[in-house]
Amino acid sequence: MGGVPTRSIVRAGLLGGAGAIYVALVGLYTKFADLELVGEQVTLGRVLIVAPAFVAAYAVTRPRVVAGERHLVALRGGLAVGALSGLIGAGLFAAALWFADWFGVDRIREVFVAITEPLVDFLTFDKGVPAGLPILIVLCAAGGVVGGFVRTAPAAIRRPASAGVLAVILLGLLQRIIPIVFVQLGFEADWLYERGAGLTWFGGLIVFVVAAAANALWNQDGGRTRERVRRNVGKAPAAKVGLFVAILAIMTILPLLLGTAISEVLGSVMIYVLLGLGLNIVVGYAGLLDLGYVAFFAFGAYTTGLLTGAFLNTTTGAATPALSADLNFYVAVWIVALLAAGVGLLIGAPVLRLRGDYLAIVTLGLGEIVSVLTASKWAQPLIGGPQGMRGVTKAEVFGLNFQDNPQHFYYLALAFVLLAAFVSWRLSTSRIGRAWNAMREDEQVADAMGVSTTKFKLLAFALGGAIGSMGGALFAVSIGSLTPASFEITVSITALAVVIIGGLGSIPGVLVGALVLIGLPGLLREFEEYRPLIYGGALVAIMILRPQGLVPNVRRSRELEDEEVSQDAWSRDAKGEAEAVAAVLPGGGLGVEREDLE
Amino acid sequence: MATAPDQQVRGAELGLLERLPWRRIVLVVLSIVILAVVAIGAYKTLTLPADKRYSTTTWKDFIVLGLAQGAIIGLIALGYTLVYGILRMINFAHGEVFMFGAFGAFFFSDAWEESGFLDSNPVLSIGLLLVIAMLVSMSVAVLLERIAYRPLRNAPRLVPLITAIGASLFLQNTARGFFGAQSRGFGVPEALDGTWTILGIEVDRIQVVVLVTVIVAVTALSLFVSKTTTGKSMRAVAADSEIASLMGIRVDRVIVTTFAIGGLLAGIAAVLFSITFESVSFTMGFRPGIAAFTAAVLGGIGSISGAALGGVLLGLLQSVGPALILTGYGIPSSFQLKDAFTFLVLVLVLIFRPGGLLGSSEAEKV
Amino acid sequence: MSAPEHLLELRDVAKHFGGLYALSGLTFHVDPGEIVSVIGPNGAGKSTMFNVVTGLYGPDDGSIRFRGANVVGLAPNQVTKLGIARTFQTVHLFPNMTILENAMVGQHCRTRSGVFGSIFRLPGTRREEQRIRERARESLGFFGSRLAGYREEQPASALSYANRRRLEMARALATEPALVMLDEPTAGMNPSETLELRDHIVRMRDELGLTVLVIEHDMRVVKGVSDRVVALDYGRKIAEGSYDEVANDPQVIEAYLGTKAAG
Repeated sequence: MGGVPTRSIVRAGLLGGAGAIYVALVGLYTKFADLELVGEQVTLGRVLIVAPAFVAAYAVTRPRVVAGERHLVALRGGLAVGALSGLIGAGLFAAALWFADWFGVDRIREVFVAITEPLVDFLTFDKGVPAGLPILIVLCAAGGVVGGFVRTAPAAIRRPASAGVLAVILLGLLQRIIPIVFVQLGFEADWLYERGAGLTWFGGLIVFVVAAAANALWNQDGGRTRERVRRNVGKAPAAKVGLFVAILAIMTILPLLLGTAISEVLGSVMIYVLLGLGLNIVVGYAGLLDLGYVAFFAFGAYTTGLLTGAFLNTTTGAATPALSADLNFYVAVWIVALLAAGVGLLIGAPVLRLRGDYLAIVTLGLGEIVSVLTASKWAQPLIGGPQGMRGVTKAEVFGLNFQDNPQHFYYLALAFVLLAAFVSWRLSTSRIGRAWNAMREDEQVADAMGVSTTKFKLLAFALGGAIGSMGGALFAVSIGSLTPASFEITVSITALAVVIIGGLGSIPGVLVGALVLIGLPGLLREFEEYRPLIYGGALVAIMILRPQGLVPNVRRSRELEDEEVSQDAWSRDAKGEAEAVAAVLPGGGLGVEREDLE
Repeated sequence: MATAPDQQVRGAELGLLERLPWRRIVLVVLSIVILAVVAIGAYKTLTLPADKRYSTTTWKDFIVLGLAQGAIIGLIALGYTLVYGILRMINFAHGEVFMFGAFGAFFFSDAWEESGFLDSNPVLSIGLLLVIAMLVSMSVAVLLERIAYRPLRNAPRLVPLITAIGASLFLQNTARGFFGAQSRGFGVPEALDGTWTILGIEVDRIQVVVLVTVIVAVTALSLFVSKTTTGKSMRAVAADSEIASLMGIRVDRVIVTTFAIGGLLAGIAAVLFSITFESVSFTMGFRPGIAAFTAAVLGGIGSISGAALGGVLLGLLQSVGPALILTGYGIPSSFQLKDAFTFLVLVLVLIFRPGGLLGSSEAEKV
Repeated sequence: MSAPEHLLELRDVAKHFGGLYALSGLTFHVDPGEIVSVIGPNGAGKSTMFNVVTGLYGPDDGSIRFRGANVVGLAPNQVTKLGIARTFQTVHLFPNMTILENAMVGQHCRTRSGVFGSIFRLPGTRREEQRIRERARESLGFFGSRLAGYREEQPASALSYANRRRLEMARALATEPALVMLDEPTAGMNPSETLELRDHIVRMRDELGLTVLVIEHDMRVVKGVSDRVVALDYGRKIAEGSYDEVANDPQVIEAYLGTKAAG
């Protein structure tokens, strides 16, 4: 049908249905059923009902390569295929729902805790089984149709439509911020947002139209305007500087516009931007997969506590740590960074020459060791064990209190972020950055060309460690007391997700990554429980679909997108028989892989 | 340092600082420090005054415990080593494959405990639980390969690794969403309570069951890999997948089979683990997963006997190690430190002998 | 000419992989200003010898001296710093870096700007960067206009095969070596490119004052450039001398063609 094999349609449909069942089982419907996006009817939960069907249809109507030729699926076919796969998926979903109702929701609940009566009500639009099922089926089928449409419609329609929908969803999710900004600026927001809920119908419409129009303008002339602007911005440093200043200005005003509660979230975002920048140097620039970044974070936090006169929490009150000093934060933080760099060098020396996967595991192990140590009784005389420390300095300066005032803290964090970003940027465009690039592309060859890979790996690791420890220092200041619960592997994984999803090796990518992964869940409390699930799923999805991340670094996207083209592939053009034969024999070629000779 | 292009002599001298074998120096110092710490700690523990010293029975308990837990770890380690041998990648999410098997078994075990079936038919119920866990784990492993790893067969090495981490996170929290965040108690048949006396040594019945089951499983696996066609195909693909496919071996099939077998073994381990610790939770895969990976590396990754050996060794290290070394220094050996100890072993093995005990002693270069 | 010692000297070098002896009892030398070719059938150990000299792995026995100083045990980047540069049998460029950047990497071991200088763009650093660019351009320019001009900013992966080989050589030249080791530089080139490369090799010695050690299969090149030829087979040196001497050596003929042709 429509050029798409029936088998694929059926499979896509079933997968869509399975996806919807998964969403139900894992509890996302129950959580998001009430999160209104537009009006009262379009809730995130409802969007999630049609999402699997949409995605399945979108995937199955993709252009296919038949006998070397690329065939697009026509619009008519796309709609039909979408409808069919949507129906199949819906059928599966409805059948599962009917089964659950028949078998007894309470009995299922003993295994799958998310299957509750309210869930069934939600999925049947309060009409119960089987009355509500047709609505469900129609809705999912519609989702499939839309999916097919979006994929197969001519670009002139498809792009603006997608942009519009995405904008509506995004602005719906940002319902806790944007109305506040409006109010602060003196505007009314009632036309756009319902009070305490999502967009109004009118607002949704406006957003859709504006986004679609903007997208259409941007992509007009078949993309010529877009290319022209990109090229001009790329060539004119003034334009880049202007862009940077604009973003900086927005970042500076944000906390003032958004109030204290949201500034707290922004503060967390900034800390993770800082961590992301540090990890970006290690993973993005030097190509070392570090899964134990929490070690530097914890080191920075606890050392800051120790150097600024914090106390240990004991059952009897407070106690002085075994090592203690009472320095000003602005002195202590540099000492902490220096010490962390030293520790990074010490740890890195034996460890950094290991291969990628091994290095990852080792750093994971080291991170875990530190995690365990923070809670251990053994280290208690120094850092307080399970009860932790309190009384970290407030880092007061010019009357600004960074511990009690989230808005002030944001600016402190922003200052450090700018510093780290500056350092990263300068290094990446220097001789050192060049060495890192070469190392990442081909380590052995870089070494052969005179780049001391050991030295540069250590440099990246130490630098990353220093920045990570600064993140820890800031964290300590922001909350004042430290407990082991804050220093678990989640920190490492989150920082890694920020860097990777934002874009490996890309400084703006780190910012976007942090905003999306920390900012959004921070604003929408419902997401909190599902953060790791979303991180995990996002990591897998990004690696499969778009490994260069959301805001790619141009050079890295070239590296990551290519299949691992062995250098020998280049010589396939050559007729040199000698080469082909010699490449296979031991001792031929560049370096002999140990494994080849076992 | 400019040199004119027409000079005959070029190149630079290497300073003394650069010529020193820094890495070797660091490693030697490190090893001396570690050996000293271990030796002194052990000496102090063994020479503690009689009232503080561990009794022989306690040591015996430590050792048996170490063997039993090491056996379980070894089973899981086999999954890592098999996949690594074929794909040269670490299946980070293997711990979650294990965890799902445990949950699969749990729901049946829970029901049977209530109905009394568990106590009245211990052998049958354990047998069934094993089968269920194997099926569940196997399915998860195969799904994992199909969805997360297969699309990335040819990607640069960093990519599948990150995907594996993401998959691990995802699976863990899927279990959390499905089954809830609370840990649940795993029922053990009455028949397995208490101890047996074998060869004059008193051992927990569960530990005996664990050891016997693992020995049977590992033997079966070895026979499978060496005698059957599939097993030979697996070895061929592990040696050189390109040539294997030229020989007519369906590499994709072999890969799926490998994941399936790894899952199967993890399922067995899951039931054994659950009856030993009598609980399941969505995070239960993480620490055993790392321990198993450590064991696989310790024994020599890619080698089946290495994984088994590494498992047993690590089990012993885990249970005897902290007690032997740390008690002498007056450090209370808690569960947490046991974990830290495992990680330390991992780090040290990878630093000093990445090829493992049964492998080479040189670090594999990238 | 500099000191009377050999520029590069191998003595009794042996290297085995498992049971396979890739090199055994290998002894030869290269003097400053020479162009020495290394020939031998496939698997003779020629590339292994390169790898051992440049430090990719160490020999199991024997000594290797460069300007009289021992180089065994040094890391490859240290060997390069001492003044030995090499190319590879199969081209190993940095595919996603530009042509100019590839060449600039070569200059790495001759420069020293550190973190501080790079972050603050100190005048010394900026001057050094400028010089790196100039030197890199010079190396690229050695091959005429092919790698120069607007091409500089293109990614290396966009080059044609022959240009990739040239870029690899330019990158090696950018390390300002005293000895350059070329591993089958003409493999896969057509006849005119081959002849051109032959001339480049001679120019390297004549214009740049380099000493060249080249592994080659194409006898036209060997004949056209070599002051001396060393023939290897099964990891041993089986002949050494001028081209004519080696070409007519019965052992060499046997190695290439088998015993039938030797008698």
